[in-house]
Amino acid sequence: MAFAAVCGNDRFSLNQPTAYSGPGTVSGDRTVTQPPATPLKQVHPARPSPDAAVTDGRTETMGSRPVVQVSGVDKVYANGTVALQGADLTVKQGEFVSLLGPSGCGKSTLLRIIAGMGEATRGTVKWWEQDYKVVGDKGRKLAFVFQNATLMPWARVRKNVRLPLDLEGTAKRPESQQKIDEALEMVGLQGFETAFPRELSGGMQMRASIARAMVTEPNLLLMDEPFGALDEMTRNKLNDDVLRLWQAKDWTVVFVTHSVYEAVYLSNRVVVMAARPGRIVEDVAIDQPYPRSSDFRVSTEFAGYCRRVSQALERASQMGEEVAS
Amino acid sequence: MKLPLISNERFVQIAAPIAVGLLFLVAWEVTVVAMEMPRYLLPGPSAIFQSLVNDWNTLFRGLLMTLKVTLMAFGIALVLGVAASLLFVQSKWIEVSLFPYAVLMQVTPIVAIAPLIIIWVDDTTWALTICAVIIAIFPIISNTTLGLRSVDPNLLSMFRMYRSSRWQELTRLRIPSALPYFFGGLRISSGLALIGAVVAEFVAGTGGARAGLAYLILQSGYNLQIPRMFAALALITLTGIALFALMVWLSDLALRNWHESALRVEH
Ligand SMILES: Nc1ncnc2c1ncn2[C@@H]1O[C@H](COP(=O)(O)OP(=O)(O)OP(=O)(O)O)[C@@H](O)[C@H]1O
Ligand SMILES: [Mg+2]
Repeated sequence: MAFAAVCGNDRFSLNQPTAYSGPGTVSGDRTVTQPPATPLKQVHPARPSPDAAVTDGRTETMGSRPVVQVSGVDKVYANGTVALQGADLTVKQGEFVSLLGPSGCGKSTLLRIIAGMGEATRGTVKWWEQDYKVVGDKGRKLAFVFQNATLMPWARVRKNVRLPLDLEGTAKRPESQQKIDEALEMVGLQGFETAFPRELSGGMQMRASIARAMVTEPNLLLMDEPFGALDEMTRNKLNDDVLRLWQAKDWTVVFVTHSVYEAVYLSNRVVVMAARPGRIVEDVAIDQPYPRSSDFRVSTEFAGYCRRVSQALERASQMGEEVAS
Repeated sequence: MKLPLISNERFVQIAAPIAVGLLFLVAWEVTVVAMEMPRYLLPGPSAIFQSLVNDWNTLFRGLLMTLKVTLMAFGIALVLGVAASLLFVQSKWIEVSLFPYAVLMQVTPIVAIAPLIIIWVDDTTWALTICAVIIAIFPIISNTTLGLRSVDPNLLSMFRMYRSSRWQELTRLRIPSALPYFFGGLRISSGLALIGAVVAEFVAGTGGARAGLAYLILQSGYNLQIPRMFAALALITLTGIALFALMVWLSDLALRNWHESALRVEH
């Protein structure tokens, strides 16, 4: 139901509603108030095995240094599920890349591999052009926001947010307190420092988990549907906050979402994945300047990009159907 | 109209079992009187209570003795059990090689090996304690080991992403995750320590100054002092209940802020 809704409910009314009906949540079904005035741009055809170099041309504005290089990665889970097949993705310094795709297509799996949390069955992953062992050194910090809040239930909010600093051994430094305060303020959780996670709403737990990721000032921020459980207002605010911080702090972000609108609003690039087996099929560049504001959400360009991405997503869903049948 | 006390959950939790107990005691007394039961066959609650008062000195000394063995055994089982669990989670190899022996200890009937232990260990108190430890330790080992392994895999991945040390992983993640399981183990184990102490004493049959409640039961049986036998039994039962309640209280104290088991249901 998830993607049929995301693709089909908007004003663009795609000719062929997808038959895809997997589990998942519909998130941020923002209606774009203006119909697209510009004619449809030609969307480049599906690339079952995209060459990393193909994406390079569109990101000249970004630094050219790759932060993550995923090449030819397969992931087969112990039960035989082929979650990824031949995934290639290069994320460059300063990029904001969104991963979009039907539920179960391997977005979380890919993100975990990027985070070094799951071993690839085949293929290689490099961080800052090196292998795993150097990740975490100065200037090479990762942070991860899970699909669920994943807080420590026995620890109060402040202690949860402080965790990365505790693990790094920097929590005792005077500037750390300020970092924690800043992170809590950014997600609007000041005043809840002493609450236990179970005393918070689902959205507040998610915000605590986002604060925890930001407290170390990561260079590479990986987020797995971080705002799926939040209301529209909070989500928009956090979207803007993430964009602001991304620009101010020179972050590189890989962002998994179910929402076409969110992906287009936030990203330089939207990478569309297909299911069974999970692979990257399209890579849409969003060549729009930052800072992006609410004006961008109602612009014709925005509508055009949403349409392109929606159609790419629909094609990706159909590919999954073909393989499955 | 709702009765305020009946709708008070906590009151009902305490009052209902007490009411059932009192009802049972009254029925028992009435039956004994009505059927003119001789005391050496089945004494009524009043006779048992009377014996409790009359023989208090002997019984209390027995209680202290049994309690001493129980608490020593429980304490040792706790320390050794937790140590064993911490060892087990260090590596799968250690667990695989040693866990079967923990099971072996658990399934060996204590009555069968108690005589051996009593022969080997000179000091009777220690011999009894060792028997009780053997019975009480297994729930602590198995529960705590399970708990130390029941860590949210995502949290663990995150710890490792931040390159946590093994020590941080243990103290900040595994031990807190294990607490609910550990306390579950303690509840079972406290009762088993008492049973172990009593069973071992039955086998040892220690009399004199070191007689515990079990020996008093044996002796009262030989002498047909059945009310005293029941009084000793009642003391054992009450001790068990008190230990269990203490464990529940401790576990509530430690977990009430965050764990589902200790949360009050809010409407
Ligand atoms: N630990 C696991 N063991 C076995 N199979 C798994 C495991 N984790 C995920 N899978 C399978 O791998 C595939 C991809 O899962 P993944 O969680 O990456 O999807 P996703 O794109 O993140 O989906 P969603 O949008 O619903 O979060 C699914 O078919 C899933 O069933
Ligand atoms: Mg996912």
